Amino acid sequence: MRISEFAASLGIDMETAQGVYEDREISSGYSSDLLSDVMGNAKADGVLVTVQAHKNAVAVASLVGLAGIVVCNSRPLPADMLDAARVEGVAVFRTPETAFEVAGRLWAAMHKP
Amino acid sequence: MKVLADLHNHSCLSPCASLEQSPSLLARLARERGLGLVALTDHNSALNCPAFEASCRREGLAPLFGIEANSVEEVHVLCLFGTAKGALDFGLLLRPLLMPLPYDAEKLGDQVVVDEDELVIELLDYYLGAALTMGFDELCALAASSGALVIPAHVDRPMFSVSSQLGFLPPGPYDAVESMRRPEPALCGGLKAISGSDAHYPEHICRRPFAVELPEGALELGGEGLLECLRAALRAGSLTASWEGQ
Repeated sequence: MRISEFAASLGIDMETAQGVYEDREISSGYSSDLLSDVMGNAKADGVLVTVQAHKNAVAVASLVGLAGIVVCNSRPLPADMLDAARVEGVAVFRTPETAFEVAGRLWAAMHKP
Repeated sequence: MKVLADLHNHSCLSPCASLEQSPSLLARLARERGLGLVALTDHNSALNCPAFEASCRREGLAPLFGIEANSVEEVHVLCLFGTAKGALDFGLLLRPLLMPLPYDAEKLGDQVVVDEDELVIELLDYYLGAALTMGFDELCALAASSGALVIPAHVDRPMFSVSSQLGFLPPGPYDAVESMRRPEPALCGGLKAISGSDAHYPEHICRRPFAVELPEGALELGGEGLLECLRAALRAGSLTASWEGQ
């Protein structure tokens, strides 16, 4: 599943916060709000589900090789975060749903028979 | 006497700081820009404090020596000492608590220990930006019992702050809080907020100092004496933050 398909398939209000990203195949998801934890445990080509809406989240995503970030609870996305995401080619989406709901949808989408 | 102070500055030891920002450059620009009291506070380490001490002596500037420690909840807290040894000893306590995360200097930045003449002593091979495996309350208590001034950093920031990570300022042994802008009173715990430059690049040095009223001779006293004078002034709120105008 590509990250654009994932975003479209969730059937929720998923705002594509920045249009310029590498539309990669995603292989996993990880939900955490501690960036040290994401750095240590998230896998490359995964999607990070978080409430951390700032440019350090993009830096960690880029470092780990994540394909995208879903920011939950409609947290505002600062301009410098989106600028960094464009530069790094990391997809950033925003949704009013909680991390629990988004992770559930992601898991179900990835485990569809 | 009124002293222009800045207690939050990084050097080339912090992975996210400019390589150009040696302790000696920090001391020189701090003096040129009018600071009287400056602290070095790298992430989770005090290894550049000896170079900073020598550099400040050369510049005739009063130094304090610190660490910006990163709790397990990823809350940053400034822990400041009167002597480089005090900060180095506290750094030794933190070292085994630092989470071992994969460190790629290309992506995260170099972490350079230097001397006062910018000669490289060591390139650290473990990541200083990681969190410590110790909760914020316990970390603040450890710093206070080690004799540090304890100042939760940038309490109003949307990341790495008590407001972003905990949602509130829990009671603790704080001497002040640091804020980027005029903070909500609830984030100050009844203390006066200081401003701080959180300088990672030379152009950041002295961008948000605060003015503090210290007894005559406190700067010359240096060391623990200076630290205790500053602690008393901070607790008494005898200071003016950058947003109040100086």
